[in-house]
Amino acid sequence: MTDQTYPALATANRNTSPTNASVKTQRLANQIMLFAIALVVTIVFAFPIYFMVSSSFKAENEVLASPVHIIPEDFQGIAQFQKAFETVPLGRYFFNSFLTAGIDVVVTVFFSALAGFGFAKYDFRGRRIFFFFILTTMTIPFQVLLVPLFIEVRSFGWDDSYAGLIVPGIMNAFGVFMMRQFAYGIPDELMDAARIDGASEFRIFWRIVFPLLAPASASLSIIIFLWSWNNFLWPLIVIKNQDLAPIQVGITAFTQAHSAEPQWAVAMAVSTLATLPVAFLFIFFQRYFIEGMTMGGVKG
Amino acid sequence: MAVRTVKGSSYIARRQYWGLAFVLPTVIFFAIFFLFPILSGIYYSFTDFTLLKPPVFVGLQNYQDLLKDRLFLKSISVTLGFVAGTTIPAWILSLAAAVLFFQKFKGREILKVFFFAPVLPSLIVVAIVWKILLHPSGVLTTVLRPLTGAGEINWLDNPALSPISMIIITNWTIIPFYMLIWLAGLTGIPTDLREAALVDGANRLQSFLRVELPLLRPTAVFIAAISTINAFQGFTLQYAISPGKGGPIDVNTTMSLLVWKYGFQFYRMGDASAVSMVLFAMIMIVIAVQLWLTRQNQY
Repeated sequence: MTDQTYPALATANRNTSPTNASVKTQRLANQIMLFAIALVVTIVFAFPIYFMVSSSFKAENEVLASPVHIIPEDFQGIAQFQKAFETVPLGRYFFNSFLTAGIDVVVTVFFSALAGFGFAKYDFRGRRIFFFFILTTMTIPFQVLLVPLFIEVRSFGWDDSYAGLIVPGIMNAFGVFMMRQFAYGIPDELMDAARIDGASEFRIFWRIVFPLLAPASASLSIIIFLWSWNNFLWPLIVIKNQDLAPIQVGITAFTQAHSAEPQWAVAMAVSTLATLPVAFLFIFFQRYFIEGMTMGGVKG
Repeated sequence: MAVRTVKGSSYIARRQYWGLAFVLPTVIFFAIFFLFPILSGIYYSFTDFTLLKPPVFVGLQNYQDLLKDRLFLKSISVTLGFVAGTTIPAWILSLAAAVLFFQKFKGREILKVFFFAPVLPSLIVVAIVWKILLHPSGVLTTVLRPLTGAGEINWLDNPALSPISMIIITNWTIIPFYMLIWLAGLTGIPTDLREAALVDGANRLQSFLRVELPLLRPTAVFIAAISTINAFQGFTLQYAISPGKGGPIDVNTTMSLLVWKYGFQFYRMGDASAVSMVLFAMIMIVIAVQLWLTRQNQY
């Protein structure tokens, strides 16, 4: 095939001659069919989330109505949300979750950038072995750490405390790995220019490198927030005091509700609230959200 | 790095120690909160250890006991079943969804956003929502009634159905997520490659199977690996909605759940550590296979 026929054929293949009406109809039919399939698939996947949100406005006996009420018939307004705050210390739960996730994000992003920069741009003794060490911690499932980490934290006197809840999660190997990849891309000349101006190495990091890592920091912040916010297993075992429990643990009061009247609508209201911060991040920072998640490979 | 003569090489050599200073906080953190616990976990797995008294070294006793422990042996098959049910279907269906959302059609972007919604809630929230959807006379039963004709289905209490329910829920929450990773891979394929295949007379399916899928191999291995590793760690759903945390009759007691049960329900820390080490070894095998497969890919 010669060079001349190639582009002609390619256009013929894609842009099938606009004069041909039957081909046009065919393409429209294709479009409609694709949309229809995608719509059905999307409804199947999005329905449980819609059910969660809509049920938080339903009356208790309406949640399990069969067939399901797509739109709440006995609309409750924010009554179930108010009830949720009365039933459990929801404000505390949210405060604890925001506190944990906030500290996790700030500390992880700072130290990941610092270490990632150190690994990418300096050549010191032990660089390879230290990096390999941090990388291997990524392969360790948390279940393996569960027992010994709990015993260690307990020996510090940190069980059932904010320190025990927060400190083991303030650094993240994935963050170091990710920041190192991005730090490689920073030109050495920028750093050298600053050195000639007499800037210290830390100042170079703080004033030049860290701002340049902002897009990576944004993705990392979101993924760390997500992991921290959705974390369940560690707070489950380290926290006994309900006043220190994050929302994901606090919410379990509703999963094991063996009481005479299970409060499904209230549970849905709490679930909706607990998902709101993540949904907010997804809607407003979609690009960073998706980039962070795709790189991280673990759903929170 | 260019040789700097201005201040001499000793300055450059000294400067490198800043790098060490930058990585040291992280290294120390991981030594305290990863290396030390891992090593003590290995040690605990060889001890008789309840929280009430200090660990006593018992050699291989815990591991030998596990071989006769029916709950442990059952947890292996429960875990493998959960792995099988949440890897292969998720891999195929997420690829199918990615191919669908890779096509150009009106409304694609907005549908994609809603399709992604199951990824947002935590697994605990997922568990609560599905506990209602899977109520014996709940939504899923109603939707399937034309097919099954059943008035009530005990999704969670029936020992045969319960593990399948866990698998359905997990697939629901991970497929949109893996779809996104596939989509990133598909978008990365240069369009001229696809067009060249079409020009050479390949049909859409041939072009996909012969040109695109081989190029997606790194993505394919990545998704296979992370879905397997995540499945081996299955805990939250089983903890939160299976009756009696792992029931009925332990059909949902995964190895991760067993670590929690032995450690934090029965305070048998030695046994819990031994179970976690077996789980660790199994996950290491998966990672080794993944590394081997990606290495194969590099020539």
